[in-house]
Amino acid sequence: MTSKKKKGFHVDESELLCKNGCGYYGNPGWQGFCSKCYREVYQKAKDAQLESDSLRKQRLAALQGPAVTANGETTLKFNKFEEKRKQHQAPKAKTVKTLFKKGSASPNKEVPHPWTGKRQPSIESEKAASDFIEFLNTLRKPAAQDITKQCKALIDRLQDQYELSVEEQSDIVQDFYQNMGERLQTHSAFKGASAEQYETMMEHMEKYMITRLYKILFCPPTCDDEQKDLAIQNRIRRLHWISAEMLDADIDSTKPSVIDYIEKAQTDIIEMNSGRSPIDKLLCIVRCSKNIFQVLNISRGQPASADDFLPVLIYIVLKANPPQLHSNIQYITRFANPNKLNQGEVGYYFTNLCCAVTFIENLDAQSLSMSQEEYDSYMSGEVIPAGTKFGEPICEGLRLMYANLATLDELRIRQDRLRENALSLQQEIKDFRDSVVKTVQDVLTTKPFIIQQPRMPANLDEENAAESSLLPPPLKPEVVAK
Amino acid sequence: MAAGGTGSAKSFNFKVVLLGEGAVGKTSVVLRYVENKFNEKHISTLQASFLTKKLNIGGKRVNLAIWDTAGQERFHALGPIYYRDSNGAILVYDITDEDSFQKVKNWVKELRKMLGNDIALCIAGNKIDLEKERHVPVADAESYAASVGAKHFHTTAKLNKGIEEMFLDLSKRMIERQSEDTHKSTTTSRSNRTKTVTIVDDEPEQPSGGGCCGSS
Repeated sequence: MTSKKKKGFHVDESELLCKNGCGYYGNPGWQGFCSKCYREVYQKAKDAQLESDSLRKQRLAALQGPAVTANGETTLKFNKFEEKRKQHQAPKAKTVKTLFKKGSASPNKEVPHPWTGKRQPSIESEKAASDFIEFLNTLRKPAAQDITKQCKALIDRLQDQYELSVEEQSDIVQDFYQNMGERLQTHSAFKGASAEQYETMMEHMEKYMITRLYKILFCPPTCDDEQKDLAIQNRIRRLHWISAEMLDADIDSTKPSVIDYIEKAQTDIIEMNSGRSPIDKLLCIVRCSKNIFQVLNISRGQPASADDFLPVLIYIVLKANPPQLHSNIQYITRFANPNKLNQGEVGYYFTNLCCAVTFIENLDAQSLSMSQEEYDSYMSGEVIPAGTKFGEPICEGLRLMYANLATLDELRIRQDRLRENALSLQQEIKDFRDSVVKTVQDVLTTKPFIIQQPRMPANLDEENAAESSLLPPPLKPEVVAK
Repeated sequence: MAAGGTGSAKSFNFKVVLLGEGAVGKTSVVLRYVENKFNEKHISTLQASFLTKKLNIGGKRVNLAIWDTAGQERFHALGPIYYRDSNGAILVYDITDEDSFQKVKNWVKELRKMLGNDIALCIAGNKIDLEKERHVPVADAESYAASVGAKHFHTTAKLNKGIEEMFLDLSKRMIERQSEDTHKSTTTSRSNRTKTVTIVDDEPEQPSGGGCCGSS
């Protein structure tokens, strides 16, 4: 599956030319521009970058040396930095050559070593630095100063001594963790901090330092990590035919949600390679493991033990084929804080990943409980396993079909429910109308509605008009005597 | 590792590995201990492979990290990766299954070979609620445990017997060991640190595996 993507290496002529269209050839090292256009385009960006760098330096310097007047210190730093920049730009054009020279044993004193600190910090280490400064601002001043000092010393030490073997580098970093752990407990600057605070301090230091040193420490040219990466990658490719069933991994891949979680787990384990610090990488492993537990939980419906977990993890690693797997594991082993790595959940999942990789490396017919002939025929490609039998997510179309079928099923159920509800509503409306009519009828029959004529006001005079003439005229007041 | 600085803070962090063949009830034992539940329907956790428990033994705070291991035969060779740097191990067998007891013996041999006497061992004969079907004689198991310096416990996760006692006893022994040789363990942890675990298979599997991956 993966091999299909890497059919061959084909580059268009147009891809080689400078992106600016000036006709010269471009170079990926210069973002696809030719050297001239690159300088023009990136000069502006670089100037802006330098501006922000110097600001950050000022802030760091303010933390490091409060005795020196802030003004003098920073301008000095800035001058130094400018100098460094000039030094750095001059050999820039030679970078390609220096890269090729790197392998040769004779170190040319005049050409700066490509692995030294004299380079533009990457985006990741920029971010790590700003995060670190933010964190330091939350601490009290003596503590922040001490941490900065210690970290800087270690970074400088490792950057200057690029000829160290990776084991020596690892020893230096591990000693630092141990000493710093003790220092945090005993030094007066850190008095009164809680155990959690110590932990976050250690975590931030680790993140910042190792991210800064990533280029030097990750898969260094002094060791054979790269070959081993390739070996394991090829090994996994050869084992593409292994199904979940063969590993006794309890995956119910007919359920679309299970496949979702499997994909998430695969993405997480692949993402491990993009993390910079050991902590970031470990967190990817943790996320992957949590997704595996989701898979197991949906498939089995009971808490998963290691017996269930490990086969699925192996399956995920086989299907994902994470890049630079060996390098990443070595990097974590060498440079992660051992307190974190040996204890706790993080350490447990990491150990399981190591187990999975070891299992894949040593895998044979016996470990899949099949005969040697069967295993050989799979390995040589004579037999292609009937993967779909167990609902193996081999075919994207089939998978989509399952997902669509499930959606349709759900839709039908909802539609049925809707129809039922509509019918019952209709019935209810009818019943209500009937009941209203019935009540009205009932009331009408029991209490008939009779309209009475309104009483006319009696006109007394009119009634007796005939008789009134017979009556003597009303008495009129008379004056009887004067 | 655990010894590094933890002794002075008066709280102990111990790593305990759980070894045992599949279906001997490792998971039930640890879930009974941590969640005090046996029936799977009532268990809230998604996973039973990594669990923690906090204890207080005579004023000392103890954090147990219980690591479940895959017990299938095919994963047997991975044992050393799991139990490196562990302070204690609980080896579980099923009293109705003689094979599972044999497996425990293999693990004990390996643990002693790899970690020497640095590790505290407990052997748990699980499922004593099925006493009628017992296939591993009590006397055999107990005398074996005594001969390798391990403590034997009779447990049942179903009826919740013997489990609490076992973990408590193991914790106490781990505390003893750690306070005995704090200086010794710091030096050993320093030397252990850079050591990577290599797995040596004494069966002739590896050359055949290597051969076929080179040929095709």
